[in-house]
Amino acid sequence: MKKTNIQAYIQVYRTRLIRSFHYKFEVYGNVLMQAIIMLAGTFFWRALFGSATKVQGVTVDMMLTYTVVSSMISILLTTNVERRITQSVMKGTIAIDMMRPINIFGTFLAEDLAGVTGLIFQNLIPVFVIGSLVAGLPKPASLASFWWFLLSLFMGFWINWLLAAVFGMIAFWAIDMDALIQVKKHLIRLLSGSIIPLWFFPDWLRSVLEYLPFAYLYQLPLNIYIGKYTTETLVKGLEVQLLWFVLLAVLFLFLQKRVTGKVMVQGG
Amino acid sequence: MMRLLKQIWYYLDVSITCLRVAILQMMEYPSSMIGWLLSNPIQFLVGFATIQFVVSEFGSINGWDYGQLAFLYGLSVISHALSMIFFIQGWFMGWVVVEGEFDRLLTRPLSVIYQFFFMNVNIMGFTDLIPGVIVFAYGCCKISFHWTLSNAMLLLVLLIGATLIRGGIYILLGTTTFWTKSTTDFGPFTQEIFDKTTMYPLSMYPESMQFVLTYLIPIGWVSYYPAAAMMGVENSIVHSPGAVWLTLLVGIITMLVAAGVFHIGLKQYESAGN
Repeated sequence: MKKTNIQAYIQVYRTRLIRSFHYKFEVYGNVLMQAIIMLAGTFFWRALFGSATKVQGVTVDMMLTYTVVSSMISILLTTNVERRITQSVMKGTIAIDMMRPINIFGTFLAEDLAGVTGLIFQNLIPVFVIGSLVAGLPKPASLASFWWFLLSLFMGFWINWLLAAVFGMIAFWAIDMDALIQVKKHLIRLLSGSIIPLWFFPDWLRSVLEYLPFAYLYQLPLNIYIGKYTTETLVKGLEVQLLWFVLLAVLFLFLQKRVTGKVMVQGG
Repeated sequence: MMRLLKQIWYYLDVSITCLRVAILQMMEYPSSMIGWLLSNPIQFLVGFATIQFVVSEFGSINGWDYGQLAFLYGLSVISHALSMIFFIQGWFMGWVVVEGEFDRLLTRPLSVIYQFFFMNVNIMGFTDLIPGVIVFAYGCCKISFHWTLSNAMLLLVLLIGATLIRGGIYILLGTTTFWTKSTTDFGPFTQEIFDKTTMYPLSMYPESMQFVLTYLIPIGWVSYYPAAAMMGVENSIVHSPGAVWLTLLVGIITMLVAAGVFHIGLKQYESAGN
């Protein structure tokens, strides 16, 4: 029983992956857009730094690496789960989706993983190449920081997915999600350090943001990557990150039960 | 003459009715309205706040202090909002062409391009206007902008021109679907480019890019050159406030070119189906 389940998810993954290689035009469009965001970022920082060598302990080269790696992370953090839930609820197919013998959220996860796998080839590698040409090869500060970065990125990925899934479940209560999804997108974009690092923010705001999950999607992994950390901040950062991961996982499992019950009662 | 006046009156009448319908439509979905009322201001206000944090750390971007940047950013968002209200249709032309929606427009006794854009006035665009006005007002205070009649006039000219430039470019991009028959949504893509090039001083980009954005794709005229002209910020091209009129001129030219291409494209249109 368990085994066939896993095979089913792998099948979903494969189907989605194959499908993701069919939308050529969209892929070029996305690469172009990512590249524009990244290029604008590099010019922005170059213009700002001007002749300054170090600001907030960061050189312009570190900032360029930050920008390129941030673009790459944003590709890895592409999720579709909230849209899938919303559409499923809006079209009323949610009841049928839930009747299937495999877990609906497992299916969404498999799809998202496949989507990201596709994006690695379609977007991540092109963006990496373009970024390296424009801003220089984005090298990590040290080998150790690279490994810590991967760990932090891995946890960041899960926090991001769980956030999206939990967020998507709001659709069961409030049907029209388009605007809310946009709000979440913008908040993450601006408050996670993905474009402007949090160390430029006023102290009061930064200390608040350090306790919200957003900073653990971009800021922490990026800090580690460019070597802007001490053993103390590294340990503390990873601890809070792990805490958010556990919290969101628990919330996710709890809500999933509630949501399933809700659909059972209302019949979709 | 009478006929022309009658025609204009007719168009005006239709516009008002469309506007009324659009408002009623929006009221029908209050939750969606509240959502956008939150989403759009948050995006631009927080976006501007983060820029300000950085600029206060560094002092300025290419000689623009943050009062001037707020002025530029505010103008950019306001013209974005206006273009969203009137020309957002350009983003979705792919769908309209592929689904054969133009059939309906072609049978009516009104100009097709007029119908296409004004039958669907996007009232939600007003939600973008709020953050634009707030940031702009903040910028005006910071640079102690003189609210004289001629300055107000220049602002009006600037905004009309900027909106026409944006609208013209949306239409041009959207018109490509007459030939490609693809349903690509240019929206996010266009907005990203406009955000990056109109909210910051253009002078931070390499000269080759500045050249393209000044002479080939007139994005520089949306906010950078007119704002620099009005505030007297040093730049390579404009030196007096009168240069704001150039924005209007560029806007009209862009729109005329776009309308021309739209009409050529419309001849290619062959409806949906087999």
